[in-house]
Formats: sequence, structure tokens, C-alpha cells
Amino acid sequence: MILLRLISWPYTRKHLARTILTTAGIVLGVGVFLGMHTANQSVLYALHETVDRVAGATELQVTAGESGFDEEVLERVQARPEVRVAVPVIEAVVDTALPGRGSIMILAVDMTGDRSLRDYALESGDEAVVDDPLVFLAQPDSLIVTREFAEQNHLQSDSPVPMRTMEGPKQFVVRGIMKPSGLAKAFGGNLAIMDVYAAQKVFGRGRKFDRIDLAVSEGFTIDQCRAALEKTLGTGYQVETPGSRGQQFDSVLRVYSVTMSITSLFALFVGMFIIYNSFAIAVTQRRAEIGILRALGATRRQIRALFLAESGVAGLVGSTLGLGFGFLLARATAGYVGQMLEGISGIAQRVDEVATDPKLMGLALGMGIVTSMVAAFIPARNAARVDPVQALQKGKYQVLSAGENRVRRLTAVAFAAASVICLLVNGGAVVFYAGFFLATLAALLLTPALALWLTRAMRPLLRWLWPVEGALAADSLIQAPRRTSATVSALMLSLAMTIGLGGVARASYESITEWMGTALNPDLFITASPTLTSRSFLFPAYLGPTIRQVDGVEDVQGVRTPRVRFRGTPVLLIAVEVEKWAARAGRRPVEGRADEMYRLAAEGKGAILSQNLASMKGLHAGDLIDIPTPAGPLTLPVVGILEDWSDQQGSIFIDRSVYRKWWNDDRVNTFRVYLRKGASLPAVRRTILERLGTNRRLFVLTNEEVRSYITGLTDQWLALSYSQIAVAVLVAVLGIMNTLTVSIMDRRRELGVLQAVGARRRQVRYTIWMEALGVGFVGVLLGLGLGAINLHYVLEMAHRDISGMLLPYRFPTNIALMMFPIILGAAFVAALWPAESAVRGSLVQALEYE
Amino acid sequence: MIELTGVSKQFEGKRRVTALAEVNLSVGRGELVSIVGPSGSGKSTLLNLIGGLDRPSTGEIVIDSQRLGGLSDDQLTLVRRDKLGFIFQFFNLLPSLSCLENVALPLHLRGWTRRKAVGRARELLELVQLGTRLDHTPDELSGGERQRTAIARALSVYPPILLADEPTGNLDTQTGAEIIRLIQDLHGRLGATVLIVTHDPAVATSCPRTLTIRDGRVVGDERR
Repeated sequence: MILLRLISWPYTRKHLARTILTTAGIVLGVGVFLGMHTANQSVLYALHETVDRVAGATELQVTAGESGFDEEVLERVQARPEVRVAVPVIEAVVDTALPGRGSIMILAVDMTGDRSLRDYALESGDEAVVDDPLVFLAQPDSLIVTREFAEQNHLQSDSPVPMRTMEGPKQFVVRGIMKPSGLAKAFGGNLAIMDVYAAQKVFGRGRKFDRIDLAVSEGFTIDQCRAALEKTLGTGYQVETPGSRGQQFDSVLRVYSVTMSITSLFALFVGMFIIYNSFAIAVTQRRAEIGILRALGATRRQIRALFLAESGVAGLVGSTLGLGFGFLLARATAGYVGQMLEGISGIAQRVDEVATDPKLMGLALGMGIVTSMVAAFIPARNAARVDPVQALQKGKYQVLSAGENRVRRLTAVAFAAASVICLLVNGGAVVFYAGFFLATLAALLLTPALALWLTRAMRPLLRWLWPVEGALAADSLIQAPRRTSATVSALMLSLAMTIGLGGVARASYESITEWMGTALNPDLFITASPTLTSRSFLFPAYLGPTIRQVDGVEDVQGVRTPRVRFRGTPVLLIAVEVEKWAARAGRRPVEGRADEMYRLAAEGKGAILSQNLASMKGLHAGDLIDIPTPAGPLTLPVVGILEDWSDQQGSIFIDRSVYRKWWNDDRVNTFRVYLRKGASLPAVRRTILERLGTNRRLFVLTNEEVRSYITGLTDQWLALSYSQIAVAVLVAVLGIMNTLTVSIMDRRRELGVLQAVGARRRQVRYTIWMEALGVGFVGVLLGLGLGAINLHYVLEMAHRDISGMLLPYRFPTNIALMMFPIILGAAFVAALWPAESAVRGSLVQALEYE
Repeated sequence: MIELTGVSKQFEGKRRVTALAEVNLSVGRGELVSIVGPSGSGKSTLLNLIGGLDRPSTGEIVIDSQRLGGLSDDQLTLVRRDKLGFIFQFFNLLPSLSCLENVALPLHLRGWTRRKAVGRARELLELVQLGTRLDHTPDELSGGERQRTAIARALSVYPPILLADEPTGNLDTQTGAEIIRLIQDLHGRLGATVLIVTHDPAVATSCPRTLTIRDGRVVGDERR
């Protein structure tokens, strides 16, 4: 400890700016890791909390995916002796027309039995509403809201609440206000209770419920009750505890979680390089000090421990600050993540609080400290190996020997060969990731040699442009490749990741655009929600023919899109009129024959899978699948596999006739409308709204609006790749500043001599700037090169472990070209201060530096 | 106290350079010896080998009955720590530490408690007449004061052997003479074995014994 105070602290204090920059690497890594995961967890926590609060005393819940089930199922459940009480529920998130925060979760219940499961703690005076459940039945426009919602929207008992329902705009009336506790805190307090039978009309449920909540009879266990109900109802129904139901949300966020983990680990990795660079420089700068300590009797272990302790402290400080940064980031992004999730999956929740997890915080803190110490390990070891004799002779530094270079290059070649073998051998995840790791290591080991070669190649050009300054800058880089290689390596990795993510973004964008061109080619979309992903409201099937009669409409296709649990994953079931759909929007399959695929599916003899689902579940054309339905398991062969971007979890396409038969559900989520040639789109849209929209909830979206919405969602998702550019710039600035500082220190005498023989300050500055630009340029070139290789691995990772989508290789040329001015600009900025310090030092001191 | 037998030192680079060739040397306990020779003759290399800062290519070195050959780096460091004190031409004080802290540094490395280390450092600085400069940093001291601080540091555990590499090389004549007088005074009081590498004939002749080195060999051993 005393050595930390005597030796480390003075150095830290003297180089405070650089220390801060170095620590920033860890702050960034830890902050991004904690922030992203906390935002993720907060969304999940909000979801789970809502499920738990709404569940109340419910012990089991019966669902049939998102399709709901007929009322008669309730009677079958209630008839079981294992069931003490069973009540129907409809749950939906809606926009009210209130000027305040209008989005609200409606929990529609049968008040006659629901009080056994949920506690409605009303404000005084309102108790009659729940004490006498017939009040609700007699007044189906009744709503019970929470105090929070009431206050935000200036509501009190008997206040009207306008809502757009499937039967058009309707006024509901507040008949009770719940105290803020328990149930009233679900969905961030934006909750309202209404009668379940009124809700069936409001939300177009027909004679169906979304689920049944129940409590188990005395004398029976939950498992016994569950087993009995599963036997009674069949495999098309899920009987679960409320907690299990909440876990399905985890899989929806999985893709995002994995991507966030990769991003945050990458940020930590880059932080590690920054720390490594800084400590390597510190060892160089403190070489004489180390020599003195060794001469005075410090053992190698003491020297190594000193530097490791310094890195541990830097890691601790950086991690602690990173925790703070992470919370701020989580606060800023939790809402964004929630919105994105709602846009992509239709699952809505309110994220009002950031959920702190002590374990995650501890993990982030530990990762930051460990990363810092791992990064400093090699410099610490090098510090311990400093030759005290040479260190005490001013101006002499250890030079990389040719032998060591050769070993590095040979090792790199061996690693590269091994990674190629891993690529060729189809050996599963372990072999794949081992190959990725080896390829990256090979690139890192080759960096000094490649940087040297590139700099040598650049020298004639630099010399031609600026005979003195350019040559000096190139020579400085050529003579000390190890000095710059850490910065070049960090830049290279950072840019390689940028290219990787950028390539995925570009490929995804192109694929989605191409998919939209065929799959989303209707002229108009008629939905019951302003987005395509919300499934709270449903149309009756008879609306289709009505729309068809509108002048200008050539064809109308009804689509039903409930989520079903398929092999443990909540996937999107897309029930379409396959024959019509194939004629208008048919796409070539990636597996199976197009004509046969569509024919068999239209005849109800097969299902078509999306490629991502097939990849993730290991399914191929010809495999048999079981889809759970209320009428029992539906077994169908996979007749084809399509590239489809409808859902990140995957999609199953079946004919609507099959859906109607097995789910006994004729409702529709969306009508796809095709216009006659020459028909006026605005006129048809207006007509539909006038004819059908005045007394029902209905949105008419144009093709352009839908594409714009999907593109917007895609942009949000892919914004991550652009944040990598910011990381790359930060790495460039930090790394190059550090590198130049050492370079100037190494060349102090040389720069002094230069000025003494007549070089002007401007010329010395130019040489430093040239050196910085040289480092930046080499870093960009190597980064693009590694990025081209990295892209292949990232695409494969996306296919294998993230989304299941098979994306084409598309090098992101626009991002690559953008990197040159950005990184070179950053390099120039990073060189400004070192260049100034090079010209402002004492010339006499520089010349006697021997 | 110090025995060198057949000690040679070669440096490998683009060319092999022989810094020392077959040096045989014996220095008794309590001797004050100057080592002289032209630049590049191997004086500093000899001192570095005796001090355990470097290892000979061939030959054997024994310090206070301890053979240095075959010792690990840590063991060599412990010998250096316990038996040797170094005084350098360029002082090699840590610029961010005060005189007191610089002198206490070797004691902290030995694991002494802060109180004990500071107490000893104070005592040593009094010994070299720097009792009023305890809290001054090296840049606030004259050359002579810096060297006296460095001497105090070298004496931190009262080592049996003191090695001084051109201790007056960076000082003016008068200050250099003061330093040499101080070293001689300490030698007399503490009874340490002292080796001084020097260019200065006056310093050389002020010592009872002078070794002359030329081209890596001991060519003269004069006793007065």
C-alpha cells in the first residue's frame, strides 16, 4: 500500500488527464454492460411485475396461446374438483382519447368471482362498485381506474373515459378509484378494470376469453390441479403458474439481450486494450524509476504487484464510475427498449423504474476490475523484467528482437491456419467460436508486422508530400512498431466490430427491404391498432367482404396472427388464405418447391416455416411438427421454408381454413387490401374510413406507411451498429494520444536536435500530426481488412445463435468509407496536444537527454 | 569481502563486445578502494556485476561469503538489498518524493513499518547534515544536497558494502570534494567496504587503494 502512495500516486497525479482517459475505457465498458443489461432487466421486471400484480392470488392460469378460447372451456375448468374458483379474463392495452398519458391496460374480469383472486382496494365511497358485482353487470360501461391514472388524467368518480372500441368510440365511466397498492401498481399504475363480457365487445373477442385465472381447491396441490386440467383440456392449452407465464417474455428479449451482451463485452474488450496501452506506456515512462527501485532492492514480484495493484485501483475507480454511468444509460434506454419491444413483438409494458440488481452490479464491478488487471498483466510483467542497468542509463530502451518477431509471426500463421481448419470442419459451436477466436488472435499477433509493412509502403508517399516531416513521421513509426501496435490493434478490433455489425445491418436492411417488396405488397392494410404488432383488438371475419365491396378494391385477404407456444418458444402463427397470398405475394422458398409448397399449404396439408424458426429449431422441409391448438395438437409436415421477417422468434404459415377449424376462431388481425388498377388510393382509403371507421375501431395504413414503420423499427434495432463508430472514435483518440506521448518521449532528443538545427515549431508539429495520421490510416486499413473477415463470423453468429436469419455477405462500403475521414479526423485531434508539448519543452533539457 | 575469480562479461549485439576479461580481484572488509580507467574500460560494468545488477558471462563473484552465481533473480535482489548500497552519478532520486521519503524507500521495500522507516531515514539525513531538508523534493536541492540524500539512501540498512559510480561526476569540484570527504567520513565511522568508480585523479588518490582498469582488465592495483 505504501508503495502505491509513494510511487503510483505521484505518477497518477502528474498524468491526471491521461489517467482519466485510461479509466474512461473501463467506465465505458462497465457502463455499457451494466446499462444495457439493467435496461433489459428493467423491462423484464416491469413485465413480470405486471403479470404478478395482476395475478393476485391466482395459482394457475389457462391459456391457448394468444388466440383465446370459447366460453365453454370455463365451464369445463370450473367443473374440476381440483379447482376452487376459476374466473375468465380478457387483458389488453389500449389508447384512450385522454389528453394525459392515455395508454392503459384493461383487465376485464367477471366481478362475481374475481374478488376471490384479486383485492380491489378502493377509495372510500367507491366500495359499492365491487361489493355488489351486479353493479358492473348492470352498467357495462363501468371502469375502475387507479388513483395514479385518475390523477394524471384529472379523473374522479363518474368522470367519462373515451375509448376507441371495435364498435366505434364509446364513453366509459369511472365508477371506482383504486388505492395505490398491489393490483393498482400493475403496468406502472395505468390499469383499469372492466366487465369481461363488455370487454368481449370492446375488443372484438366474440364469445372468447383470453385466459382463465384459478385457485386450487384445498386438499389438492398445484401440480395435481395442473395435471388434471391438462388431461381435461388437451395439449392445445397451457396451464401454468403466473410466474412461468412471465418467463416467456424472456425469450422475446433474448435476441436483444444477446446483442447487448456482445456490444458490452466488446466495449470492455476495447477498454482492456486502452488500459493495456496506457500501462505499457507507463512502464516505458517509468523505466528509470523501476530501475531505481530494482537497484534499491525491489524484487520483480514487488514491481509486478505494484503495477497490478495500480491497475486494480484504476479498475475499481473506473468500475465504480461505470456503475453510475450505467444507471444513467439504463434510465435513458429502458424506455427506448420497452418501446422497441412493443413495436417488434406487440408486448406492451411501462418501465417507470430502473430495476437494480446487486448481483449484476457486483458482476459489472468485478468484470471491470478483472479486465483492468488482465489488461495490465503483460505491462506489469514487462515492468518486472526491466533491466535495471539499462534502465538507469538514460535514453536506452529495450528493442524488440528479430527472434521475438519471428516467433510472433509463426504463431500468428499457425493460429490463422487453425482458424481456417475450424471453418472448413463443420464441428458445431465450440469449433466455430474457437476458429473466430484464433482468427482474431492471429490478426493481433500479425499487427506489428503488418503495421510496419504498411508504414514502409507509405513512406515514399509521405516523403514526397512532406520531405522532412513526412519522412520523420514514417521513420518514427518504422523504428518502433511495438509502440504503435497496441493502438493500431485496438483501432483494428474496434473497426472490425463496426464493419461486422455494419455488414449485418446492411444485409438485414437489404433483406428486409426485399422481403417487404413482396411480402408486404398490399396497397392498404386495415388494422385495429395503429401498429401492426399490437393484437389487443380483432376484427370479425365478415368485415372482409364488406371491404371488398368498396369501389376500387380488387382483393381482400384476412390475416390472423396469434402467438402460439411452439417447442417452448412463443412464435407467430400466420393464418392466411394461402392460395390468394401465394398469387399476390408468393416468394421463392429457401427449402422446398414453391408450387408444391403453396399448394399443399392451401389445401391444409402442410405448414410453411420462416427460415429463422427452422434454423433455431433445426427443422427442414419434410419434418413433422405439432402445433398446439384448443382442439388438440395439429400435426403437419413442413412443406417449405421461407425467408421471412415477420417475427424475431419465427413464424409458421398455415391456411386460414385450418386455423378456423382447429382454433374455432374466425377473427382477423389485419386485412390486406389490393386495389384495382387505376383506382385512387386516397379515395379508397377515405371511403373505407367513412364507411367502416365511424362506428368501429379501424386504422387504414398505406403500404408506404407500413414500410416506413417497419423501416423505423429496423433503424432502432440497427442503431447499435452506429454506436460502435462512437466507440471506435474514442479508441482512436485515447490510443493515439497515448502513443504519441511515448513517441515524443522516446524522440525528445531527436526533436530537440531538429529544432536546434533550424526546424521551426510548425515543422515539428507537422511531423507529430503526420505520425498520428499514419497510425490512424494503418489502423483503418487493418480494421477494414479484419472487418471483412469478421463480418463472415458475425453473420454466422447471427444465424446460429442470435436470430436464426441467414443473411448474405454484404460489405458495408458506405460505413467503411466513412471511417477514413472520421478516424483520421480523430487522429488529428488526438495529436494536437502531444504536438504542442513536443514544441514547448525546454530545448536545453531535450538536448542533454542522454 | 568481495572476491572475483575469472570474471568476464560480454555483450551480444550486432557485434560481441567484451566489457571485462578474466578479472581476478579481492577486496577486504572495510577497505576503501577507487577504480579508475578511461571511458569504456569496464569500470561501471565491474561495479554492476559486483552489485548484482548484472550477471557475468563467466567466472565467480562472492560477496560477503555469498556466491552470486546460481542465485535466482529474487535471491540476487535480496543480496543487493541487504548487503549493498548504491550511489549513482546522476543521483537517481525519485523526483516526486521528498528527501525523507526517498531515503525511507528501501526500508519500505523491506517491509519496515512506516514509523520505523521514517525514524531511520531521519537519522540518516541527520548523518549527512540534511536534517533541515527533510520535506524538500530533489528539484529544491542543490547537486551536492541531492548526492548527500542519495548517500543517505544507500546507507539505509547500514550495508557492509557501498558502491559509488562516479559520485562526483555531476558536481562541481568543490561540491565533489565535499562528497568524497563525506564518503570517507562515513567509511571511517561505519567501517563499510567502499568501492568508488571515478575519472577524477584527486578522488582516486584520496583512497588507500586504487585499481586501474583498461580494456576490461585490471592493469594496476596500487596501495598507499
